[in-house]
Amino acid sequence: MENEFYVALGPLMISGSVITTWGIMLVIACLAWISTRHLERLPDSVQTTVETIVSAIDEAILAVAPQHGRQILPFIATLWLFLLIANLVGLIPGLHSPTRDLSVTCALAVLVFFSAHWFGIKNLGLKKYLRHYLSPSPILLPFHLISELSRTLALAIRLFGNIMSLEMAAMLILLVAGFLAPIPILMLHIIEALVQAYIFGMLALIYLAGAMQSQQPNS
Amino acid sequence: MDFNVSTFFLEIINFLILLWVLQRLFYKPLLEVIAKRKRFIDQTVTEADTTRQQAEALRDQYQNRQQQWEQEKQVALVSFNQQIEAERTLQLNKLVADLEDEKQKLQVSVSRQQEEFKMLAEKQALKNGARFAALLLQQTASDELEAKLTSLLIDKLSSLPDECSSSLNLLKTKKSIPIKISSAYPLPNELREQLELKLNALIDGSINFQYFQAEELIAGVRIDIGSWELNANLQHELSAFAELADEIV
Repeated sequence: MENEFYVALGPLMISGSVITTWGIMLVIACLAWISTRHLERLPDSVQTTVETIVSAIDEAILAVAPQHGRQILPFIATLWLFLLIANLVGLIPGLHSPTRDLSVTCALAVLVFFSAHWFGIKNLGLKKYLRHYLSPSPILLPFHLISELSRTLALAIRLFGNIMSLEMAAMLILLVAGFLAPIPILMLHIIEALVQAYIFGMLALIYLAGAMQSQQPNS
Repeated sequence: MDFNVSTFFLEIINFLILLWVLQRLFYKPLLEVIAKRKRFIDQTVTEADTTRQQAEALRDQYQNRQQQWEQEKQVALVSFNQQIEAERTLQLNKLVADLEDEKQKLQVSVSRQQEEFKMLAEKQALKNGARFAALLLQQTASDELEAKLTSLLIDKLSSLPDECSSSLNLLKTKKSIPIKISSAYPLPNELREQLELKLNALIDGSINFQYFQAEELIAGVRIDIGSWELNANLQHELSAFAELADEIV
């Protein structure tokens, strides 16, 4: 697992995860462009499929954050789509999931962390947003801060640990038992990839919704 | 398990770029199309609702109109029946009145016919009576009856009304007045003298008495003084009887 390659581009070290991410981005962008080239009021099968996906994501977001669904839809949907493909990329021989890289999962977790604060401050205002750290009692402020950090760290570690362990298990079985033996593990990889993408996205959604609705009644 | 800062920041930038790209290429147009379709569906549903409401309103309106028509029809039917009843009553009354008029006319006509028939019968009876009386008197007539009638006339001459007496006095002329005395039988001289005395007493002046025999008088005399005619005979009485029958007709 330590055979990561790096390309030095000046001060930047471009890893294989970054290159894979670029590929994923390219694929997603191309699919998005192709699927939305000829949007009609009466949709064809491709348009129906992408509309179904987006509508399903939209409904899931609205179920958690009904008042701010459209605001956070692009972020959460992008997170879900990217994580889904990134988790499944590891199934392709010769490629590794970017999410098996702690730097990638930390980057995503940090994005979620800052996004939660960004949307919270944007919706509630800075004072009102910061006030929720003092509620119900200022004594709980340290715990709030620890919670913010720990949940972000948990996001990163959970995804990284699950995907990395799956790939490692599949590689170990492949090394020990041969070509067909890792197939059950690969099927488990598919399920795990879906589940982890869903969990990461759902937790991000809950964090964002919590930040945006923390000072609102009946939130 | 190593953490690479470059990867960390590049992944953040990558994700933000992907977010921007998808927002531009994917979410925005797709959500716009979905919203557009939703608006179209809402508009269609609204139009359908409007059309349905209009249809229901029209249906209600037509039902109300139909009920109104039904009520108007009932009212018109009642009015028509009343008019027919009134017209029937009017025509019936008119018919009854016409029948009553016709009945009265018929009654008048019948009564007139009966009257005419009665008058004709009376006239016929009078004529028959006159004819029968004439036949009977012709068979019973005699010079004695004539003498009695002449005596009766002589008596009546002395008691003539004043108007008749004054009229006879107007006949005074210088010439002699011709007086024609007709009788069915030859008058005896005694009766002639009495007649002449009575007439001379009534008329001042010379009188030329002329005597004639007229069997059509049956019995009695007739005295013609100018335009005057004094009758005391059966023929005159019978003719008066016949004239009475004519007057009845």
